[in-house]
Amino acid sequence: MTLPAASQPADAYAQLKSEFGSMTAASFQGRMAEYVASGTPIVAGTDDFFPELFTAMEVPFYFVVRQGLELAFHVGKGPEAVDGYNELGGSSSLCSLQKAAAYLLMKGRLPKPSAIVMTSTSCDGQTAVNEMMANYAPWSDVPKMSFDASFEKDEASMEYLGKQWMRFIPLVEKATGRKFDLDRLKEVCEESNRQTRLLFDFQELRRAVPSPVRAEWGFLAYMAARWSGCGRPLATAWLQRLFDTTERRVRDGKGIDGVEEKIRYAWFDILPCWSDQLFPRLERELGAVNLMDLYGYSAPWPVIDTSTLETIFTSFAKRFLIGNPMTRQIFALSTVYGGDAVHIAKNFKCDAILMPSHVGHKDGAASHRVVHDLFREIGVPFLVVGCDVFDERYMTSDVVFNKIEAFFDTSGLRR
Amino acid sequence: MSDSIRPAALKALLTAAASLRNPELDAWTSAGGRVIGYYCPFIPEELFLAGGFLPFRMRGTGSTDTDQADAFFDHLNCLVVGTGCDHLRRIYDNALHAPLEASFVYLLDHPRTMGSEEEGAEPIVRYYREQLSKLKEALENHFGVAVTVPALRAAISLCNETRRLQRRLYDLSVAPAPKVSASERAAVMMAGASMPKERYNALLSEALKELETAPETPGKALARLMIVGPAIEDPAFYEVFEEQGAAIVVDDTCFGARTVQALVDEEAPDPLTALAKYQVVDMPFCPKIGGSHAHRLRFIQEVVARYRVDGVIAQGYVSCDAWGCSYALLREAMQEAGIPYLRVEREYIHSESGQLSTRIQAFLETTGGRG
Repeated sequence: MTLPAASQPADAYAQLKSEFGSMTAASFQGRMAEYVASGTPIVAGTDDFFPELFTAMEVPFYFVVRQGLELAFHVGKGPEAVDGYNELGGSSSLCSLQKAAAYLLMKGRLPKPSAIVMTSTSCDGQTAVNEMMANYAPWSDVPKMSFDASFEKDEASMEYLGKQWMRFIPLVEKATGRKFDLDRLKEVCEESNRQTRLLFDFQELRRAVPSPVRAEWGFLAYMAARWSGCGRPLATAWLQRLFDTTERRVRDGKGIDGVEEKIRYAWFDILPCWSDQLFPRLERELGAVNLMDLYGYSAPWPVIDTSTLETIFTSFAKRFLIGNPMTRQIFALSTVYGGDAVHIAKNFKCDAILMPSHVGHKDGAASHRVVHDLFREIGVPFLVVGCDVFDERYMTSDVVFNKIEAFFDTSGLRR
Repeated sequence: MSDSIRPAALKALLTAAASLRNPELDAWTSAGGRVIGYYCPFIPEELFLAGGFLPFRMRGTGSTDTDQADAFFDHLNCLVVGTGCDHLRRIYDNALHAPLEASFVYLLDHPRTMGSEEEGAEPIVRYYREQLSKLKEALENHFGVAVTVPALRAAISLCNETRRLQRRLYDLSVAPAPKVSASERAAVMMAGASMPKERYNALLSEALKELETAPETPGKALARLMIVGPAIEDPAFYEVFEEQGAAIVVDDTCFGARTVQALVDEEAPDPLTALAKYQVVDMPFCPKIGGSHAHRLRFIQEVVARYRVDGVIAQGYVSCDAWGCSYALLREAMQEAGIPYLRVEREYIHSESGQLSTRIQAFLETTGGRG
């Protein structure tokens, strides 16, 4: 049931953000210190391959590279971790987030897990961090499994990965003492299906002109569905409230409060850790609104087929290899990333697309020509920025702003 | 041996490696032979040989920029790229996008882990076997050739013979004063993936006979070094070390010793499975393969002992995360083993001789080479 527009609280989004904060605090990630203190068995993984399994088994899980955000960049220690990694003698061009995670690992600052799950995606940097984790001496006694993800995206390839992943269940049971219950997993998967449906519905609302919300809301919705509250009714309810609030805003023809929308663009990569120094200024000085980022874009999220354990895990493989934003960007052809960007440009009525081309994304740098030509075909201006979305020292937000401003000027978009 | 008394066969091999086109390759294409370009040693050239193609490992030897790329690509009928790393996958994308002469551009899905301890590599070998089978069918359909089991067996046998000969080439460096320099050895290894295999084997066999019976070279290198990392496709890179009096006696690189340590099983009931197993299990591993560090370290330690290596050079391209990150682990292992270690991060196009020379001089001090 939706409320009439008049009864909407003025600060509905502030309320949603506050609820999101509470949800995150109550999530596995938010309670990690508590688990460590109580000796609760934890599983570490190198991406969010199948969060539904951990929700169903109530086994705390953390995504190793994300710790670079949580324990370094989000607490002002990103540069220190990046520099610390460089002293370890690894790759100087590694993504700064992976550098931070690898540094935290090698310095013993990550919670020691009871089991580790690794898969050969999405990028070389991730595989390299997997290898550091697999060979980290203090964790040598931790049982770990490493799985091979196919680059092919056909049915057989999905089954190939799904069947491998299924073998992780007995290891989790043994390592954590938690019992696996197929019926419970099915319930969680059904809830997860409702969440991804809401993600998509919410995304459809964002086609509206003027844009009802900033790109960050797409990212938060993804976080709620995949990281903080995957398969949990609390997160589903939050997503529903986000949808309802935004639907009312669209119905009322309202754009973002206090912003006169003049230029619509998408920042099609990860939102920078220094977003606050860039996007508000673009809104304020140029009336330029960021509609979409990589994680806030819900390309096809395959529905989990809950018929059997095998179909569930094959669906997990499909979600990871077809739906996961980072996999689409890196572990697929350039035309997949480029095609998504073109879809956004056309369907969300973008005046321009910015390809941040994060320096850690070497695959992205090698895609410029292909993606640029796709945009030339549809006649939408396209800019490669070339910044570091985590470590602002590489290219300051002021320099990025200047590049974007000049690009909008030369493209005739400034009004 | 001075240049003037090098075997003629060796000189022919060095010529074949010195540029992107070579007389042997030209003779092949002039006679109507087909050439398949491929990236990465994880792609089995036996499959191409069995189809009657000349497999050519893609490289940029001698390039100072990318201007030669178009001319280089024009002799290819086919390009096969593996999915092993981010860079290779994007080479495929760009090859599709660029107006190449090659009529057939193929992406081969390559496994990137070694498998689990409990099940071993069997599921991964099976998967890769299927991918090889798909490539075989695609070649057959596109070019109207038949890649038969007897032809595969013959190709496996031919390539194993190449590996045996190349091992003998490396054996020449076990002696206190190696009879071939690292730059020559690297060129001979590259020639092996740049010309018809039978001709290569004949030339290498002839060169080895002369080299093996030649008198011992007097003198001794200041230090015996091992070099590890991705492909070194410009022998001039080795020359910088040699100019400082060091001998690179062995390596673990994509064109080097890594590719000759194991042989493909010639007796296996299914040749495609034998090839898949060789690529995924038997060949010492590149760090893009998850779980390979311990295997690679074991290989390096064995080789260090056998070749009496004084120090290890870890080289890699600036943007290669797989090798770059593996060096954090390798450095730790070398420190524990007390083996002097130098990390060299470089650009693909060799252009930093001066800086590198200075670093090598300093490193030789740590190995005792200048003492």
